Amino acid sequence: MEVSHSVKERTIAENSLVILLQGLHGLVTTVDLRDESTATGRVTNVDAFMNMRLAEVTFTDRQGVVSRLDELFVTGRNVRYVHIPDEVDIRATIERQLQAIHRVRYFGGRDKGRKEFPRAKHK
Amino acid sequence: AAMSFLKRFPPPAEGVRHQQPDTEAVLAGRALGCGTLYIAESRLSWLENSGVGFSLDYPTISLHAVSRDLSAYPSEHLYVMVNAKFGEEETKEAPMAEGEEEEDSDDEGEPIAEFRFVPSDKSALEAMFSAMCECQALHPDPDDEDSDNDYEGEEYDVEAHELQQGDIPTFYTYEEGLSHLTAEGQATLERLEGMLAQSVSSQFHMAGVRTEDSIREFEDGMEVDIAPVVAGQFEDAEVDH
Repeated sequence: MEVSHSVKERTIAENSLVILLQGLHGLVTTVDLRDESTATGRVTNVDAFMNMRLAEVTFTDRQGVVSRLDELFVTGRNVRYVHIPDEVDIRATIERQLQAIHRVRYFGGRDKGRKEFPRAKHK
Repeated sequence: AAMSFLKRFPPPAEGVRHQQPDTEAVLAGRALGCGTLYIAESRLSWLENSGVGFSLDYPTISLHAVSRDLSAYPSEHLYVMVNAKFGEEETKEAPMAEGEEEEDSDDEGEPIAEFRFVPSDKSALEAMFSAMCECQALHPDPDDEDSDNDYEGEEYDVEAHELQQGDIPTFYTYEEGLSHLTAEGQATLERLEGMLAQSVSSQFHMAGVRTEDSIREFEDGMEVDIAPVVAGQFEDAEVDH
């Protein structure tokens, strides 16, 4: 997934597991929503606030009624669980996403860039 | 009675990302009429041709979707799920009758209101959906406690620190931020970038950003994204040390 143009979003992603979700771009994933409905579809975007955009979705509402939705946008607040597909190597995905962020950040040549921000402090 | 939440108000004038006339609005299966849907940055509004309608605030919208599944609903439409007992958002009254009509009576969970906006022009659904995504992204959850997004102090929030604020509710992407700069703001931005590029060896703190190495500022080369700016923002920048 294309790395965000926003410094703030990149920093948030880099310091949270949203970065893993961003690595699911293009994969069919099931998302459990806060109201207990579920959506299964191809991830087309995840932003730093965990707002998720899915395509070709099979949506099961909380009464169990199934329907298809061409595109779905669910706010991060309403995401309860994201089922990481079995075939996903979580660590490799995170590393790949971090590399993508660093490529953006270090544009201009290897070893010439700077970390935007040091590692987040433990809170 | 269910129509009592409809009010007369002028259509939004600012920040309208998409406007779709000839759009029917349906709430929980009840048709409300035909009108125009306004997808604006501040809120989502629908106004019937007669001039009455309603608005929805983005923080109350859980999700939205394009539905073309005619077996689920007989017309292609934009589906919007609202996390609220509808009818109390504008006034503080929440007529229970409305709430119960919208959801199962045995519902113990949160209130849900389901809206469908059915444009006569089905080809507009993509644009409507995208406009809503953009506007929704402008309203991140202010109650978000779970995630560690409150980068305070020296780590991250340059702009928050300078503006003496905590979490910033909205932010701009590079393009949007630039578009908000006045000529003076742009000049200030360029001057600061130049300053940062020049100070090579010493630690340089700018408004709370810990930057033992980050002389060359946030972005090298082409990658844009200076932190979101407000015109004149940097004029009072304190160099913390």
